[in-house]
Amino acid sequence: MTVATDFTAQELIVVAGAKVLEDNKIVFVGTGLPMVATLLAKLTHAPGLIPVFEAGAVGPPLLHGLPISVGDSKTGTGASYMKGLNAAFELTQRGFADFGFIGGAEVDMYGNLNSTMIGEFPDEYHKPKVRLPGSGGTADMAASCERTILIVPHERKKFNEKLSYVTSPGHLDGTPGARQKAGMQGKGPYRLITTKGIFDFDEETKRMRILYTFPGETIKSVQAATGFELLVAPHVAEFPPPTVEEVRLIRETVDPRGIFVKRAA
Amino acid sequence: MENSTQMFWTGLSPDEAREALVNKNKSMWDKRMSLKEAVSRFIKNGDNIGIGGFVHVRQPVATCHEMVRQGFKDLTLSFQSAAMAPEILAAAMMIRPDHCTIKRIELAYWGHESFGLSPAWRYLGERGMIEFEDWSNYNMSARFKAGAMGLPFIPTRGPLGGDIPNTSRTRVMDCPFTGRPIALLPASNPNVALIHVQAADMYGNCIIRGTDGTCAEIAMASAHTIVTCEQLLDHEIITSNPKDIAIPFPAVDAVVQVPFGAYPGACRRHYYYNGDEILKFLGLISPMVKGGSADALKTWYDEHIFGVETFGEYIETFQTRKLIADQAAEAVHCQRLA
Repeated sequence: MTVATDFTAQELIVVAGAKVLEDNKIVFVGTGLPMVATLLAKLTHAPGLIPVFEAGAVGPPLLHGLPISVGDSKTGTGASYMKGLNAAFELTQRGFADFGFIGGAEVDMYGNLNSTMIGEFPDEYHKPKVRLPGSGGTADMAASCERTILIVPHERKKFNEKLSYVTSPGHLDGTPGARQKAGMQGKGPYRLITTKGIFDFDEETKRMRILYTFPGETIKSVQAATGFELLVAPHVAEFPPPTVEEVRLIRETVDPRGIFVKRAA
Repeated sequence: MENSTQMFWTGLSPDEAREALVNKNKSMWDKRMSLKEAVSRFIKNGDNIGIGGFVHVRQPVATCHEMVRQGFKDLTLSFQSAAMAPEILAAAMMIRPDHCTIKRIELAYWGHESFGLSPAWRYLGERGMIEFEDWSNYNMSARFKAGAMGLPFIPTRGPLGGDIPNTSRTRVMDCPFTGRPIALLPASNPNVALIHVQAADMYGNCIIRGTDGTCAEIAMASAHTIVTCEQLLDHEIITSNPKDIAIPFPAVDAVVQVPFGAYPGACRRHYYYNGDEILKFLGLISPMVKGGSADALKTWYDEHIFGVETFGEYIETFQTRKLIADQAAEAVHCQRLA
């Protein structure tokens, strides 16, 4: 396995996302980079991974390549089961989804995500600074998948102590049993993958904690790009750079047209 | 901010929705008509419009073009995840507010996934020009389902824990059986559902291929449904496997055959996305978010909607080889004997 020297931050995030996915599990996949990471995982260590797309498709082999939407016809071909949105989310609510794989525009230290608006809440809710698309299915995946894996590009303005809006609840305020008390199911955020590293959430405080730094990053540089204090795992390791083979797979097989994984760093 | 103690219905209340069906002619009659007639007969100013499809899949694009041509005021749009349908209606409001207006949107997601954010949503939302109510995909789907079930509300897990209950008509209560909190969402019963399907017969029986989206629930919840279809089939053919029928005829009021009716979005078995056209259209709206000129967008509407009689004339503006290429790109996903 030769280590690649030419790779982008997005390619690294995709490789890390793929590696977090476990073979033979059911993963409810959100749009964008989670789809790319899922396809890469299926082509490498997790051929038995079962993706579910919220538009309805359960367990498609993705033989025709990367879907550009969670409702793409490519998700339908060869799916084991396919109804509509209600059926897909009912599976999640019932407990069929081991993982939810989701993104957001903003994240806090408890893994709560915002994909609704940027601005002062609640005063600017009806006239936000930036209006984002809205939840889509992420609020449902966050509330009902057994565990969630989050993907957020690592920039200081995206890692905030207080979110503009909590679209997709994570560990809420971190108090013990907060999710259960709110009526949600599942254990909440399990891993966060960013362009600077991989994080988990401390067992006791539910606060974001550095597990791995990506090549070229240090605990200090990651903290500097984060708007709140990070916890640090006892043995933070450097995440290995992608292999030549992984980068080749992403560029030639998984996303050859650069739909989600941009070539420029 | 909506005061969460205030309850109101948009579209029809559950009782009104029931009454609408009681009074409707539910017999099997020939519902084929032009899109022009369907839109003028069934849509009124102030209506709540339920939009079918999912993001760029089977959006009722042709019907939205016709709505813009005719012009409607004070609409409420209800959908889970949508792209071109609200974009066409909202961008029309940006250039012709005298002719088309949206009052309110109830939604989970308005955007274009890999093609980017919605510039019309940003324009209207960031200027405070419309009311809106954020939900999730399951929330909106479940709200339509409650409407289709003839129930006033439905319990769900999402949107517990986040801000959606703080900005919507969600009620959180302790479940009478488990004692744990559960969210109750009000049913959605739109006045009119706009649904694009692969195949229908003249009575309105519909077959959907690929994802069902939430089309059946929206149609069953609404007082009226306008169906556009790629293929019009004989009743005997469409009912050869009755379980294939996703939407039954009594829920449908108009059937219009419109090839490429969801274009430049996708329709399984028929055509894949025309990403170039989607990006080109969004590119006409985007400059206006930052205060740029409306001229290019106005020209597009004049040429493609106001200046033509039918959606077919808009489709004729595409090169035949591009239409064939998009059909071929989709054919790969569902190979079968012709």
